[in-house]
Amino acid sequence: MNRAKRESIFINFKNLNKRSIIPTLLITYIIMIVTVSLINPLFVSLESIKSILIYLALTGISSIGTTFVILTGNFDISIGSILAITSIVVAKLLTLETLGIPISVVIIAGLLVGLVIGSINGFLVNVVGINSLIATLGTLAIFRGIAYVFSGESLIVYDNTFRFIGRGYLFQHVPVTFIYLIVIFIFMYLILKFTRFGRYVYSIGGKAFVAALYGIKVKKIQFLTFIISGVTASIAGILMTSQLGLGRGDFAIGWEFKIITICVLGGISISGGRGSLVGVLISIFILGSIINMLTLADVPIIWRDFFHGIILILAIVIDRIRVRRGELSQF
Amino acid sequence: MKLTRILNIDQRKVSNRVVLSDNIILLIVFIGIFLLFSLLSNKFYSYMNLNIMLKHMVLMGILAVGLTPLMISGGIDLSFGSNLSLSTVIMALLYDKGINLWVSIFIGVLLTILIGFINGVFIEMFGILPILFTLGMMSVLLSVALVMASFQYADIKMVTQTSQSIAIYSDELYIFANSSFLKIPIPVFILVILVIFFWIILRFTRLGRRIFAIGGNINISKLFGIRVKKIRILLYSIFGLLTGFAAIMSISLTGIGYPYSGAHLLLPVISAVVLGGISLLGGKGSIFGTLLGLLIMSVIFNGLTILNVHTFYIQTFQGLTMIIVVATYEVRRRRSLNR
Repeated sequence: MNRAKRESIFINFKNLNKRSIIPTLLITYIIMIVTVSLINPLFVSLESIKSILIYLALTGISSIGTTFVILTGNFDISIGSILAITSIVVAKLLTLETLGIPISVVIIAGLLVGLVIGSINGFLVNVVGINSLIATLGTLAIFRGIAYVFSGESLIVYDNTFRFIGRGYLFQHVPVTFIYLIVIFIFMYLILKFTRFGRYVYSIGGKAFVAALYGIKVKKIQFLTFIISGVTASIAGILMTSQLGLGRGDFAIGWEFKIITICVLGGISISGGRGSLVGVLISIFILGSIINMLTLADVPIIWRDFFHGIILILAIVIDRIRVRRGELSQF
Repeated sequence: MKLTRILNIDQRKVSNRVVLSDNIILLIVFIGIFLLFSLLSNKFYSYMNLNIMLKHMVLMGILAVGLTPLMISGGIDLSFGSNLSLSTVIMALLYDKGINLWVSIFIGVLLTILIGFINGVFIEMFGILPILFTLGMMSVLLSVALVMASFQYADIKMVTQTSQSIAIYSDELYIFANSSFLKIPIPVFILVILVIFFWIILRFTRLGRRIFAIGGNINISKLFGIRVKKIRILLYSIFGLLTGFAAIMSISLTGIGYPYSGAHLLLPVISAVVLGGISLLGGKGSIFGTLLGLLIMSVIFNGLTILNVHTFYIQTFQGLTMIIVVATYEVRRRRSLNR
């Protein structure tokens, strides 16, 4: 029995940290940046970087929330629908001229949408006991349908204060959405690393059965992760409404795919229990830049999905190879 | 002593209670929905409408029937929508370039089989979760279909994401889609033949028993000497073949090769299969369950369309039906465990 195999049986946590996926991701990202900026120097210009930061903040916020769900070994593919319905609710409340609802109330209402749909998902998965993929596929269809119905046309938001929430810049150059991303990232990172809740999330993903034997309330924790995922999706929805200045029912179609790609690329194991938020953050950057990179490298837009798919496939194949070589544990 | 007591109680309970099987519940739901729509609209029960409903059901049905054994064995393929689209685009493109209709259809079907095979090989050889791999494949194939469809234009960069279908008009396909025997459209017979074929395979052959065994417990199947990887790769390839059949059905119904022609099929087909009682973990399910799930989904879709309900609401209703029925399954399962 060689050394790698022996290690795969007795999990050595010190070793796991040493061989994390993060350096590989960073090097990949740097190589990508260098290559693209050699092809087209415009990529490293201030405007380009700004637009990338604005673009990646929304997917980033939402994928940080979904990471929790995936860490417990479940899926949440209803994110896109939650985002769309939040945007409809927010835009509708803001366009009701006669009432003049204050913006803080509107934002709370938007977050409530995410909370409610997240709890519906959590209820279906934990109380009723449906497989999370099927349950969220169902809610995906239901709420996408409702979101479409409520928006015959785009609901345009004229409120300038609300528009600033997503469009403003700090110190003239740093987009506020990026600041939100960083704040949410740090907050979630601390929760995952230093609280009991965070440790429980990891242990449920490792082996839910064993976690239950240890007295962890598995269902309660899983319920909470679905709520976190829903609320972050609705934060992204509010920001998107503010950035584009309108609410539409077809926002964020296909986001579930993007976000699962981000999580897998960031080293989050789909069977749960392994991976860190730092990897997710780097892969948010990689996937957020890639559209910009392709455009600047003069690749036709129809190839975009091709690259997304190939990245996902490569990420999972590499993940499996690393598991097989004993660099990572199965858990 | 205790054991016999438990057994006695169990036997008494079983003999006293009429336990409905899952398929009978589905049948009741189906008849209920069918009657409801017949009452709500007088157009629903017309020959024309049933004809259209059946034809579109065949398209979904071929896919659902192929997906059933695959999901029983614990696999899943989400890439069939894009696979179908790519196949229609290839068929139409080849026909457009002046190649014989049958040759171009043959190449299209060959391609879907190849893609199914690639899915199977990658998933089994690397031990990847099938959901993830086929999700990636879905996006790759969609993009390839878009690129292929843009070959008819001179400048690819001018092509936007929409508006790129390739016409494939031919008498043979039109006749295939529109003729009927004993007032039943011809495609329906093909679905019936496929259903019977797969039913026999799953029920009476060694392969069928092995498929159930793999889905039930993969490790024990390996210990029994079942070649799990081989069988699953075979199932992925068979599903590819059926996706090719569905692609033929799609081009005969619509007359175009279109990169998004399979995009709307993912949700209804998966819902139909799941409604039919198949669990994502594998080891459970039957062809007739799938057929009933399929009937329910297409009746809902068709009935709501007849009632002039908007397409988006229909999606909502389909999602709701799926969640309600699957929730019922779960509750029943847990009750039967407690009993």
